[in-house]
Amino acid sequence: MIRQLLFLCLFCAAPLAAQTFPEIKWEELVPKSWNPAALFKDLDLSKLSDADPRAMEAMERLKREWDAAPIEPALSGRRGRIAGFAIPLERAGEKVSEFLLVPYFGACIHTPPPPANQIIHARASKPLADVRMMAPIWVFGTLEIKRRETQWGVAGYAMRVERIEPYQGAPAPR
Amino acid sequence: MIELAEVVFRWPGQRKPCLAIERFHLAPAERVFLHGPSGSGKSTLLNLIGGVMRPAQGRIVVLGQDLAALRARRRDRFRADHIGFIFQQFNLLPWLSVLDNVLLACRFSSRRRERAGNARAAAERLLASLDMAPSLWRRPAAELSVGQQQRVAAARALIGRPEILIADEPTSALDAERQLAFIDLLLSEARATEAALLFVSHDLRLARHFDRIVEMQAINRMAGEADR
Amino acid sequence: MKALFALAFKSAWARRFLLTITLVAIALATSLLLAIERVRLDARTSFTQAVSGVDLVVGARGGALELMLNAVFHAGGSSHTIRWDSFEAWRRHPAVAWAVPVSLGDAYRGFPVVGTTPDYFRHLHHGDKKPLTFAAGRSFAGDLDSVFEAVVGHTVASQLGLRTGERITLSHGMTELSPLHADKPFTIVGILAPTGTPMDRAVFVSLEAISAIHLDWVAGAPTPGLSIPAELVRKFDLAPKTITAFYLGLHQRADVFRLQRAIHSYVQEPLLAVLPGVALDELWSLLTQVETTLLTLSALVVVVGLAGLSATMLASLESRRRELAILRSLGAGAPEILLLLATEGMIVTAAGILAGLVLLALALIPLAPLAHGYGIHLSWRPPAASEWMILGAIFLSGILSSLVPGLRALRMTLVDGLTPRS
Repeated sequence: MIRQLLFLCLFCAAPLAAQTFPEIKWEELVPKSWNPAALFKDLDLSKLSDADPRAMEAMERLKREWDAAPIEPALSGRRGRIAGFAIPLERAGEKVSEFLLVPYFGACIHTPPPPANQIIHARASKPLADVRMMAPIWVFGTLEIKRRETQWGVAGYAMRVERIEPYQGAPAPR
Repeated sequence: MIELAEVVFRWPGQRKPCLAIERFHLAPAERVFLHGPSGSGKSTLLNLIGGVMRPAQGRIVVLGQDLAALRARRRDRFRADHIGFIFQQFNLLPWLSVLDNVLLACRFSSRRRERAGNARAAAERLLASLDMAPSLWRRPAAELSVGQQQRVAAARALIGRPEILIADEPTSALDAERQLAFIDLLLSEARATEAALLFVSHDLRLARHFDRIVEMQAINRMAGEADR
Repeated sequence: MKALFALAFKSAWARRFLLTITLVAIALATSLLLAIERVRLDARTSFTQAVSGVDLVVGARGGALELMLNAVFHAGGSSHTIRWDSFEAWRRHPAVAWAVPVSLGDAYRGFPVVGTTPDYFRHLHHGDKKPLTFAAGRSFAGDLDSVFEAVVGHTVASQLGLRTGERITLSHGMTELSPLHADKPFTIVGILAPTGTPMDRAVFVSLEAISAIHLDWVAGAPTPGLSIPAELVRKFDLAPKTITAFYLGLHQRADVFRLQRAIHSYVQEPLLAVLPGVALDELWSLLTQVETTLLTLSALVVVVGLAGLSATMLASLESRRRELAILRSLGAGAPEILLLLATEGMIVTAAGILAGLVLLALALIPLAPLAHGYGIHLSWRPPAASEWMILGAIFLSGILSSLVPGLRALRMTLVDGLTPRS
């Protein structure tokens, strides 16, 4: 009887671990009311060439919208895991203690940076190994909302990181 | 003590055997003089008795143990426990001291170590009775003369009182007067421990000290045709 | 077992002349491999520890690595400057919490001089968010009354034996032939505690001081006939016009991308804003290829050394046939013969590794100050995990390479038996 119980526990352990850190998708960080695409309802982008000043202006408006992207307050205190690319900010030796997490690679090179609600300022109490810029990772932790001290833009997401794992494809089925 | 029956030995890759012995025996405490020129198969016979090589056919029984029944490791241990060897020269590890060379036998055989009791004391006693001055005991073996080295080799073969002593041309490198002295010492020590002694030599003049003479060419049907 | 080890040791000792030559080869190879690994690790640590808590480094538009070399490592020559009002504009930006300007170009006896404000010592951190502290004295005041005050880094003070209160003369430019600002000496008011970063090797003065020493200089040389004595500099306008770069700290670190983009779109002056963590990572990918090549080459050197060990042991086997026969007659079997030879090889390898460690320690003595010139802090520390693994790998390889003569010895004894030919 004890042995069966033990086996049951062992079998459930893996998906249970995934359960205690349910996946957070990047879409959840965006409040449902925010829709920057609505700006361009009256513009048929497929008919514009790249050099058309209206295209440039549309680009500028998009960037400004992204900069002002609001956060979803319901996510405060949400525990889970999210996959993304890390941009190291602080190191302790070769390990990283603080980084920014973004949904796609190249956020710091020539592509436009993500909207303000798609950047997570992650901090780990124990410095983490194997945080590299080009490799996607799963970050396990708790989301927090950080209030702004100045009037420039909106509040942002932060995360207290418990651990990370390399990303190897879709998450395990729950 | 030692019984060989219908033993045939062939070198790998050779079609003709170099050794074919119908019968050979050595009784306990017996002193046998084995005579034969080089190429008569003496070395091969010693290797077979020592369990270092295996015959193609036949039985070799030493102290009641059929050597064929033992695996190589057991044969190594058997040899260490029950047989003491003395070779013609270069018996000793030149970079070990005299005492360490003698004690080497006890390092490889726990049986002989136990039978020796206090191994160091036994070694010193043997060296003394073999006429080795204590001042030499700590010297590296390379510093000794050939005669001294042979006596140390004898001490190593005798320590722990193995039942069988095999001496392969032990006096051939010595000059005439030392030869007799050596044989005397060896025989008296063998008598004291009641060991059987198989003394191999090409020099028939030494044969009178022994109980029995065996001619290699008489017992080895392939003598004279060996390649070695 | 212990007996076999003693036997192996005495056997190796008996052949020590020949084996010493292989030992030296192994020692040299080990110290080479370890030295490269140590420089690699310490360089990585030094570079990643050089700057902390800085969100953006801003300078003239050009290469990001060049900007980092200039602004953080005080190296690489700084011919590109930016305007002071660009700095003022960005300092006032609502997202910016603090801003510190730096100006490079002068030197003191080979050490770079950094013109900056007292805020430098307040905001610049290193390592894992460690602030700068003073081992002696204080920061320069940064006002007009104390123009000729200087703070020196720890290495500068210890290498040149400087103390607070002493006077130093700066030179224009970084080379030995640079002309001196001899008429305007500086007084050391503070010495920084060691940081293990390029800050140890710098001399810090105010931006006004940089203007002051160049008052009567034009285009890099003193103006003949025009010489303004130190007491009179205050009467002149010492406000900085250009600087090399500035550091920014933000209220919210996640704003860094937006601000970077904003700085790149600044129409008043072409600027480049770099995330230090990202720039260092890129520096690292460049260097990784060099590292790998160097490590592979030195690993090959180790292989050569161990092959030498194998060859030496193989060559001596012929003369050891009798020895092996004696051991066989005493009851040594295949495992004992193998173990004996493997132990001999192990002893030589271990001794070689130890000698290599000693060599490395000795090599650090001239290497460390050399590396310091590149901003790398080579430390006397026990081996790191990767270095232990290297030592372990060399040790195991040594045992493996002595199995080759070991197996050969086995085959020989099989044929020889108790009565070898020799």
